[in-house]
Amino acid sequence: MADERKLDHDSSLVRAARDGDRVAFGQLYDRYAPTVHGILLARVPVDEVDDLVHDVFLRALPRLHTLRDPEGFGAWLSAIARNCANDYHRHNRNELMQEIRDDVPEETASKRERFDADVTTILSAIRSLPEAYRETLLLRLVEGMTGPEIAARTGLTAGSVRVNLYRGMQQLRQKLAEPRTSDTISKEIAAEGWPDGNPGGATK
Amino acid sequence: MNDQYLWDKSGPSDPDIEKLERVMGTLRFRGTAPIFPSAIEFPAPRQSAFFPRPWLRFGLAAAFAITLVAAGLVLLWWKADVQVGWHVLQIDGAPRIQDRVLNATGKLGVGQVIETDGASRAEIEITEIGRIQIDPETRLRVLKAPSGRSRLALDRGTIHARIWALPGIFTVDTPSARAVDLGCAYTLHVDGNGDGLIRTTMGWVGFQLADREAFIPAGAVCRTHVKTGPGIPYFEDAPETFRSALQVFDSPGRSQEDRERALQTILSQSRRQDALSLWHLLSRVDASERPQVYDCFAALVPPPPGVTREGIQTLDREMLDRWWDALDLGNIWLWRHWERSWSEGEQSSK
Repeated sequence: MADERKLDHDSSLVRAARDGDRVAFGQLYDRYAPTVHGILLARVPVDEVDDLVHDVFLRALPRLHTLRDPEGFGAWLSAIARNCANDYHRHNRNELMQEIRDDVPEETASKRERFDADVTTILSAIRSLPEAYRETLLLRLVEGMTGPEIAARTGLTAGSVRVNLYRGMQQLRQKLAEPRTSDTISKEIAAEGWPDGNPGGATK
Repeated sequence: MNDQYLWDKSGPSDPDIEKLERVMGTLRFRGTAPIFPSAIEFPAPRQSAFFPRPWLRFGLAAAFAITLVAAGLVLLWWKADVQVGWHVLQIDGAPRIQDRVLNATGKLGVGQVIETDGASRAEIEITEIGRIQIDPETRLRVLKAPSGRSRLALDRGTIHARIWALPGIFTVDTPSARAVDLGCAYTLHVDGNGDGLIRTTMGWVGFQLADREAFIPAGAVCRTHVKTGPGIPYFEDAPETFRSALQVFDSPGRSQEDRERALQTILSQSRRQDALSLWHLLSRVDASERPQVYDCFAALVPPPPGVTREGIQTLDREMLDRWWDALDLGNIWLWRHWERSWSEGEQSSK
């Protein structure tokens, strides 16, 4: 019921934003930026994510009038975020590989004080999972969203989110239990590509 | 693992998940909304001082929409060339793509088939188009589509489609009709004989076989038969006698007597909202029966200016379209535009 009310309110914001109300679009930004952030974090280098969040909304704004169903805003915006990540990789494949190598603890220690070895290891492990699991797990663990919230924000069905969370967590536990470091994970990714064959795994 | 805590953070907490939340939470988004450019504004048409006439505004809006659709099609066509396949998610059981069991996730490309058995369900996401949920006992194929559209073939079973693309971009072929998305959400079922049933839950959907067409708005259903194509749609809350009579009228092989009796029941039981069915009935009855349908329909929805009894008697398409628009269930222009562009797309792909 709470989700339905939220959707109703989101629809009003989308309609207002479509009519040129920038405050309404700003409110949509505040509501959906964490979702976009989580989706991008599953696919692009950490340092690029914040800038790309902004790019996604700038890309969405002039196309808002093409969205027929305001209730589909979350799913629509999520698709734009995934495409934005795809575009990033079309132009930056080499940089991505370098970024992944840079993610190993030894090299990040001096450059990225924000991340400790645990973050890097877990993020690398999540990024090596199938695409659907990556995104859902990051929205749950990083952005702190519940399963129902993820479903409401991304337009995925609750069933899909539940499946992604449970299977993704199972696989993540297995990966983290394996006796290997983030260095070996990064090398595997660099050598074999992402599990679905795409750098960053963002192509749908 | 505590499944409930992972799902909605309720129930006893899971120490492992809590640790992951604590560690990964350091990456959480903490930005605020920037100032967005003010260049994008879409003033309401009624505020225009330059185009006070509704038909002129509509014409301009239509021209703009055509341009928009054309640009969208070009973009989709380009994307289709680089697309490696649609993302598929296993929901339950063991769905199969090209006879290979889907392991959690997979890709579905043009020419490929996805099948579910009695215990399987799956979901397809078509980027920037929509999402299709596939129920058990379903066989679905991806067809090459003209003009860069998305096109599926439902051979049997049930799908639930939620579409957010522009109208007319997404179509599903069945053995007895083609379903064209003109709205947002619907369920489509095809039985073992190839007969089908569509139930629209949001927006509206067009159903077509050759020159027979039906429009199904939210809250309505429509059957389709292999021999005759789309039947007459009706709202699900219509009286049982009305729905039964429609079914009799629609069923191939019924006697003329049964058909005439069913028609009288339909006309006598019609409510205002059943004008949906009567509009379709106008083009399904014989010429000798059409005047009485006209009278009944006109009593429920007065014919708009330019629509005459004589024109409807000869099934003048422009008049029929104008009367459909008077029902306020969906703009017929979207459908006619789809028909033209689909036909042109098929011509150019030959």
